[in-house]
This record gives sequence, C-alpha cells and structure tokens, in this order.
Amino acid sequence: MSSQTLLNIETIILDSSASDRKAVIKELAERLQAAGYLNDETAFLASVEAREQHASTGIGFGVAIPHGKSAGVIKPGLAFARLAQPIDWGSLDGKPVTSIILLAIPESDAGKEHLRILASVSRKLIHESFRQELLDGQSAADILETLESAL
Amino acid sequence: MKKLLAVTSCPTGIAHTYMAAESLLKMAEEKGVPLKVEKRGALGVEDELTLEEIAEAHAIILAADTDVLESRFAGKPIIKVGVAEGIRNPAGLIEQALAKEAAQAQAAAPMQEQAKKEGSSVRTGAYKHLMTGVSNMLPLVVAGGIIIAISFIFGITAFQEEGTLPAALMSIGGGAAFALMIPILSGFIAFSIADRIGLAPGLVGGMLASQLGAGFLGGIISGFLAGYVAKWLRHAIKLPKSLEGIKPILIIPVLSTLIVGLMMVYVVGTPVKTLMDILTTWLTGLNSTNAILLGLLLGAMMAFDMGGPLNKAAYTFAVGLLASQVYGPMAAVMAAGMTPPLGLWLATVIRKNKFSKEERDAGKVAGVMGLAFITEGAIPFAAADPLRVIPGTVLGSAVAGALSMVFGATLQAPHGGAFVLAIPNAVTHLGAYAAAIVIGSVVTAVTVSLLKKSKPTAA
Repeated sequence: MSSQTLLNIETIILDSSASDRKAVIKELAERLQAAGYLNDETAFLASVEAREQHASTGIGFGVAIPHGKSAGVIKPGLAFARLAQPIDWGSLDGKPVTSIILLAIPESDAGKEHLRILASVSRKLIHESFRQELLDGQSAADILETLESAL
Repeated sequence: MKKLLAVTSCPTGIAHTYMAAESLLKMAEEKGVPLKVEKRGALGVEDELTLEEIAEAHAIILAADTDVLESRFAGKPIIKVGVAEGIRNPAGLIEQALAKEAAQAQAAAPMQEQAKKEGSSVRTGAYKHLMTGVSNMLPLVVAGGIIIAISFIFGITAFQEEGTLPAALMSIGGGAAFALMIPILSGFIAFSIADRIGLAPGLVGGMLASQLGAGFLGGIISGFLAGYVAKWLRHAIKLPKSLEGIKPILIIPVLSTLIVGLMMVYVVGTPVKTLMDILTTWLTGLNSTNAILLGLLLGAMMAFDMGGPLNKAAYTFAVGLLASQVYGPMAAVMAAGMTPPLGLWLATVIRKNKFSKEERDAGKVAGVMGLAFITEGAIPFAAADPLRVIPGTVLGSAVAGALSMVFGATLQAPHGGAFVLAIPNAVTHLGAYAAAIVIGSVVTAVTVSLLKKSKPTAA
C-alpha cells in the first residue's frame, strides 16, 4: 500500500460546507467512489458509521480520522476535507473538528497496514506545524504534500 | 542523567495511544530528558520496555486507559493518568516524574554511598533482590515461630500427642509456615530479578533447598539462580511470532524449573549431604577430646546456617548423644540455638539506628522465638545481610556453647528453650546455663551492632 495509490488529489476537499459528521463523510465517500476506490459507497458508509458508533474518531486538535473496512472498497484510499465551519465530533478534547481524514480499507486487507497509517497520522497531529499546514494549505496539492509527509 | 519511561494505551488503540506517545516524546526531546515509550495499541505492543530499562528508570509515566501490566513497575515511582492527560499535559507529567525521582534519590542516597564504599555497584541490585525475598518471608517466620512457641506453653512435648491442639499448632507453625519459609525467600528473590517468570523456578528451587537440608543459604542460592536463569531464557529463546505466546506459559516455566531443579539436586544437594555425613562422623570422633572446644564448635555450627547442613549436623549429633545419657552437648546446642534470635533482638534494642522499622518489629518477635529455641527467628536478619549478621551470631553462639560446656550444664530434652528451664531437673546448673545464654546473646548483639552500617533515619 504505497502512498502514491493511497492519496489522490481528487479526494481532497479544501472548503467543505458540510454542517454535520454524516454529511462530510458522505461528501468524502463520493469523491473516493468517483476516483475509483469504491464500488459500493453505501456498504462503505455503513462500515464507517459502525466504527463511529463504537467510539468517536474525533482524536482532538480539531481533527477526526473516520475509517471503515468494507467489501465496498476496491483499494485502500485516503480522503481529506477541511470545513468552512467547524463541527462537533464528540472529540476527546471537546473541541470542534475542522479537518477530517477518511480512510477506506478493503475487506480483503488482512494486514494492519491501515492501523499503521492511522497511528502515523495520529502521531503527526501532535506536531503543531503539521496541524497548521493542514489548516493553511492553499491548494489540494499543498495538502497532498502535507499528508504524504505523514504516511 | 535521569531516564524516564512511559507506557501509553487506549481502548481502541488506533490513535490516542500513539498521540500520547508522540506528545511525551516531543516534550522529552524539548526538555532534553531521555524517554522511551511503550505503545500498547491495536498494532500490538511496540517498543516494549525491558526489565533492565525498568530497573534503570527513575520514574515511569503511565498514560493509559487499559491494563498495562503495572506489576512490572513494583517499587518504582509511578505517575498514573489517563491517555488524554498524556496528550494534553506532557510537560506536567515529565516534570512530575522528574520531581518524584528527586524525592526518591534523597532516600536512596545513603544506600548508594554504602554501595560505593563496598566498591561494587552490583550490590545494590543484589541487596534489593535479597530484601524482596526476606520481606516476603518474614510474616511466615513470625507466624510460624509464635505458633510453635504457643504449642510449647502446653508443655514442651505436648505436640507429640496426635490429635491435640498443641499437635495442630506444631503442624501449622512447623509443618506448614516454616516449610514455606525458604521457598518464599527463594521465590521472591527470583521474582525481584526476573519478574513473574522467576517465581515458579524460585519457589521450586527453594523447596528443594529446604528438602535437601541446604537451609536458607541454599534458598538464597536457588533464588538468585532461578531469577537469572529465567531472565536469561527470556532473552536467549527466540521463537517465530506465531509461537511467541507459548514462551512465557510453557517454555520458560518448564525449562527454568528443570534447570534450577537439576542444579539444586545435583550441584547443591549432593555436596550438602556429603558435608553433613562428614561433619557428623567428625563430631563423633571429637566427642571425648575437649569439652570447651566441642561447645565452641557446636555453637558456631548452630548459628552459621540456622537450619542448613552445619546446624543440622550439630543438632543431630547432640540429640543422638541423649540416647547414650550424654547431656552436655545438648545443653550447649540449645544455648547456641537460642542465642542468635535473642542476640539480634538485643541488637535492635541497643542500636535502633542500625535497623529499619520493619527489622526492629521483627526483632521483638525474634526475642520471643529465641526464648523458645526457634533459631529461625534470626533468619530474616541473616538472609538480609549475611556478611555482617552471620559472624555476629556465630561468635555469640560459640561463646554460649563453650560456656555451657565449661559450666557443666546438661539438658535432657532436645527442644523447648526457656520452657524447659522451668521443668525441675531437666537442666542442671540452671543459673550458670542462663548466664551462658545471656552472655552469648550480648556477644552477638555487640558484634552485629559494630558490623552493621547505620540506616538512613527515614527508614
């Protein structure tokens, strides 16, 4: 699972107007579907929602990392959205979320590679410079570069 | 340099475990503090802390919402918070951990100085293992000793009547509590060295030391042996990941117990038995030569290993002579067996600053056991600091044994301590015999007081 195939400029949204969790996840899933990562968006969305019900993926610092493992995923993919208006995500630190990183993992993926990616992104979030780059990125290409550095 | 360790974990193990780890590492780097973080997440355990690292660490930060095997850190200063605190407040946690270290260092300083004087840094480690064993053994010594003494109150041979309360007391105190003493000493020495995996071989080694008549010195040997064997096996055995799980539950217990057991039976047990046989034969030959020399020797043997081969040879020899109506050596042996716990009790009274609070309390109990001729009361002191305590007990007991022979005291019962003295005609030259015991105890107390180093007042 290389970062080249995982990341795609088409799945990065800079100024989403989504006003709640489900809306932004749906918006990101549509991008993943369009970019050829998904063949069953509904199934994938169900797996993401199930994960959210288990425990919030709002990990603090204004970031959420929703993720789902589903047969509706063709190949592993990552989508990013930055919201115009921060929304509540039930985060550990109580802060509203501005940046959302959505990870799609195929059902057949037996390994723990996606966990490694999530762990790696999580560690990066501790560094203020990384968080700032996600907020300040002027283009999808900027964000892509920032995310690449985290994987 | 103060080294810190941390463990992070969260229930899902996806993000916060790693965020807390990163947060702490970043702050530690900024502060220039060496820090290693063990992460227990969905990926499994990463950067697992080794026992060496834990031993070296000054304090450990636990930023965790799940079980992190905290028993590993017994005796170490611990800062325990939730994983969120690890993400939010790394600076505060690291400062707290460093501050704890400072408080700890003050208390530990005198011990470190002592280690320097002795010219060995290993000694603090060995001393710590020994103390772990001794402090876990101590309650058994106290309970067993007092219960045996209670059975003597019913008369010194009362326990020989089966089905009576004194018999029950003897089997609780002597048959059970005292039987566990050396296994527990050995087991917890090994536990201190190798953590949980040391316990099984340590207990088994201690039980063998006890059964083979190797006494508490044998138990100390088996404890260290078991601890280091288990620790070595953990590092030496490399298994594929899929089999890693059976290592701690199958491979290490079986191999470590087998190695320690075989070593105890063949390397320690055989020479101990040979030694006892030689000593018994030798003592028999010595019997008629010189009463003072015999008393001196029997006394020294009684106090040297307190239940080990020398002690047993001396005791068995004296008991054997009772059948031939020779009662002098029995008196010498009992005087010498009462002296070590009595002398140590006296030492804790006259030199309070050389003993910890725990030892001073144990001293009072040792005094009672001394009166009842339960030499084991001295074992916790001897096991904790053998090189300073044993010379003192040997000297005092040798003096008591020799004086008893010089005064011509005789004793017709093989046990009972002060309880026997009350029985008419069981002991001859009663006043002089009591004096021999008192003088021997004073010699032990003074010698031990002179040899022992002062304890820090905080203890």
